Amino acid sequence: MALAQSVASLTLGSTAQLQGPSSATPGSVRPSLSLRSNAAAFSSQSHFAGSFGLSWSAQSNGVSTSKSNRGAALVVRAAAGESKKVLIVNTNSGGHAVIGFWTAKDLVDAGHSVTILTVGEELSDKMKKQPFSRFNVISFFLMFYSQFLELREIGVETVWGEPSDLGAAVGSASFDVVLDNNGKTLDVVQPVADWAKANGAKQFLFISSAGIYKSTFEQPHVEGDAVKEDAGHKQVENYLAELGLESWASFRPQYMTGDGNNKDCEEWFFDRIARGRPVPIPSPGIQVTNISHVRDLSSMLTLAVGKPEAANGSIFNCVSDRGTTFDGLVKMCAKAAGKEAKIVHYDPKAIGVDAKKAFPFRNMHFYAEPRAAKTKLGWESKTNLAEDLKARWEDYVKIGRDKKDIKFELDDKILEVVSEPVTAA
Amino acid sequence: MATSQAVLAQALPAASPVASSSGIAQRKPASANLAGLPGTAFKGSVAGLRWDSNGSVQVSKSSLDVGVFKEGRTSSRRAVVRASADSGSESKNILMMGGTRFIGLFLARELVKAGHQVTLFTRGKAPITQQLPGESDEEYAEYSSKVKHLQGDRQDFDGLKEKLKGTNFNIVYDINGREGKEVEPILEALPGLEQYIFCSSAGVYLKSDQLPHFEVDAVDPKSRHKGKLDTETLLQSKGVAWTSIRPVYIYGPLNYNPVEEWFFQRLKEGRPIPVPNSGMQITQLGHVKDLARAFVLVLANEKAYGQIYNISGAKYVTFDGIAKACALAGGFPEPQIVHYNPKDFDFGKKKAFPLRDQHFFTSVEKAEKELGFTPEFGLVEGLKDSYSLDFGRGTFRKAADFSTDDMILEKLGIKTTVAA
Repeated sequence: MALAQSVASLTLGSTAQLQGPSSATPGSVRPSLSLRSNAAAFSSQSHFAGSFGLSWSAQSNGVSTSKSNRGAALVVRAAAGESKKVLIVNTNSGGHAVIGFWTAKDLVDAGHSVTILTVGEELSDKMKKQPFSRFNVISFFLMFYSQFLELREIGVETVWGEPSDLGAAVGSASFDVVLDNNGKTLDVVQPVADWAKANGAKQFLFISSAGIYKSTFEQPHVEGDAVKEDAGHKQVENYLAELGLESWASFRPQYMTGDGNNKDCEEWFFDRIARGRPVPIPSPGIQVTNISHVRDLSSMLTLAVGKPEAANGSIFNCVSDRGTTFDGLVKMCAKAAGKEAKIVHYDPKAIGVDAKKAFPFRNMHFYAEPRAAKTKLGWESKTNLAEDLKARWEDYVKIGRDKKDIKFELDDKILEVVSEPVTAA
Repeated sequence: MATSQAVLAQALPAASPVASSSGIAQRKPASANLAGLPGTAFKGSVAGLRWDSNGSVQVSKSSLDVGVFKEGRTSSRRAVVRASADSGSESKNILMMGGTRFIGLFLARELVKAGHQVTLFTRGKAPITQQLPGESDEEYAEYSSKVKHLQGDRQDFDGLKEKLKGTNFNIVYDINGREGKEVEPILEALPGLEQYIFCSSAGVYLKSDQLPHFEVDAVDPKSRHKGKLDTETLLQSKGVAWTSIRPVYIYGPLNYNPVEEWFFQRLKEGRPIPVPNSGMQITQLGHVKDLARAFVLVLANEKAYGQIYNISGAKYVTFDGIAKACALAGGFPEPQIVHYNPKDFDFGKKKAFPLRDQHFFTSVEKAEKELGFTPEFGLVEGLKDSYSLDFGRGTFRKAADFSTDDMILEKLGIKTTVAA
């Protein structure tokens, strides 16, 4: 507990007794390092020099450290006088939360001022309520609390509250831009949008989902393609389009990777590769999807904040500009880990497993391209998945997840039925 | 006028140095310095000049060479002043290697319509011109009266050089080149060449797990299209301004590669369509008319010098999807698609499926961004165009051969008669 305690003393000012959630089911509390040093163009290398304490103090040296290390090349600074006040309404769970954190930092780098409102109650209260296991103290702390502290270091205002009553959380503060990275349905987003409009926000950005695209025999999903009209996200988009805001835009992401992501993505693959287990992939393995490093998403959002006219009225696929196959992802993860991987293809229906539970991605082509962002905002992807996975593997090992005791019940069920594993080429 | 002529001669920089023996002209963007000419106050490269009656110079759309040729100037001087934004208005003397089979049929017409002089270099085995389906008699007459032909075998390098020496071609469209060495005799024979435009192939890309292919991606030196790659490399190494276009699968009326034809043949007979493996392989079809438009966009376009462009349709499609799209295009019922494992069969030398069994698609955003390229045909519309002008009229290139289909269907225990 020494490590956690030293962290606690830095942050809480006392050696608090930490209590956290009981030992989490695999994947629910996903530990990560949220250190921002050295985000160079093609690597998300989180520098963890020596002990956690050392790098933490490097971080807490102040604004200049994190800014210069983040790589100004990623972000275009707002011109003088164009600094905006941005409110991010951020989910407290799920895979999207990470977008809020990275975008907050990119916005600050670009010269804007940011308030991030996390839905729910403040974490320190949450932390006190739930018992922690030894492993989870560190991971929970690293994942959640350190992110908020880091944001505060760079001047982001962190508040907690409810989307249905933003006024209570932010008081009389007014914002130029409101970004909703929380709601999936109109009932949750409408109060946010209405409040934004009533309080003079000029731009409203909504994090939607590429999952609403209808599947056809053509690829990829391109902005303007048919979507499921009854989807919650679509109804939000329709509402925003009619609301009469000066500028609004909707961003449709897919799967994300990057520190602070509390939803398993590449970790699912690392879990198996680290333990020398075969990786069961639903046949045929050539399904194409888009795994994007979150900093491509945050740079796109930041660009939209800087170009409200260009972004207005537009849908943006919020993804990086390369797709990958399932088999290809296994190979990239294996290469990043410096290990061999064995791929086993299986038919979920034939075996009688629920593919949604057995595999982290939709069992189909699910592939969108960021065409609108490129043509309307002049956005460019600056990430390279194969490179980024190397840093993700290092983080994965550093927090000790490769040693964690994980059950592979569904995998075992699949492997029982399928015969010889096929070695990845 | 003589005085103006002399003044003009002084104003124009001398023709770029021409290396006659090694044969490659150094291309430099030349500009006419017109400071000091009566009535001129402008600088920089010039689209065209027109003399007015009192000898002052004005900018006009008519190209410089018109006035210059009237005065009897040599073409080398004319070649020096290159149109910038107005490149489309300056008529080029174009040599097209090929042009009588598929891409060239459409491209040559576009170029002739745009006012350029086009000469097709072929062995003469196929008719120099043929009326295209859907082309009116007037249009065809217009085209066939203007397009020229130069007979020869491009594999006879010495003969080729002889035939091209002394000609004034300033643009080459190399539509049927396969190997790097085929380019050299052309470059040697045409030292004043402004641009060499090459039809390459996206087949040069190294297979990858990260898609789509962008122009900057790794290429495969061992691919079947090695010759195309060698040609690009060779062009890069010479001093000539070159542009390379990499299409994916080209389709459209008169396609000699059985892409859509293969599917139409099976749909017409009401046969099941055998697709290897999952049918989820993603590829990309590009209409030949869109490709022709792209080739025109790079003509005398300085942005395109030294550049490679992927050109194909705006969207990609799965193998199963092509079958469905062809059915829609031809007004056929929903096809019965049958998947099989190619490893379970020995087809000998025959091809059981016309497309490579892998994901194969490219991003065309570079062309869209830099050239303003916009694929006009969506997949189903484009296939309708092909069907209505070609297969649907009863014309085709390759007779249907269902022998591999029958092998597959027999093994899978599927009958060929499909209920309508």
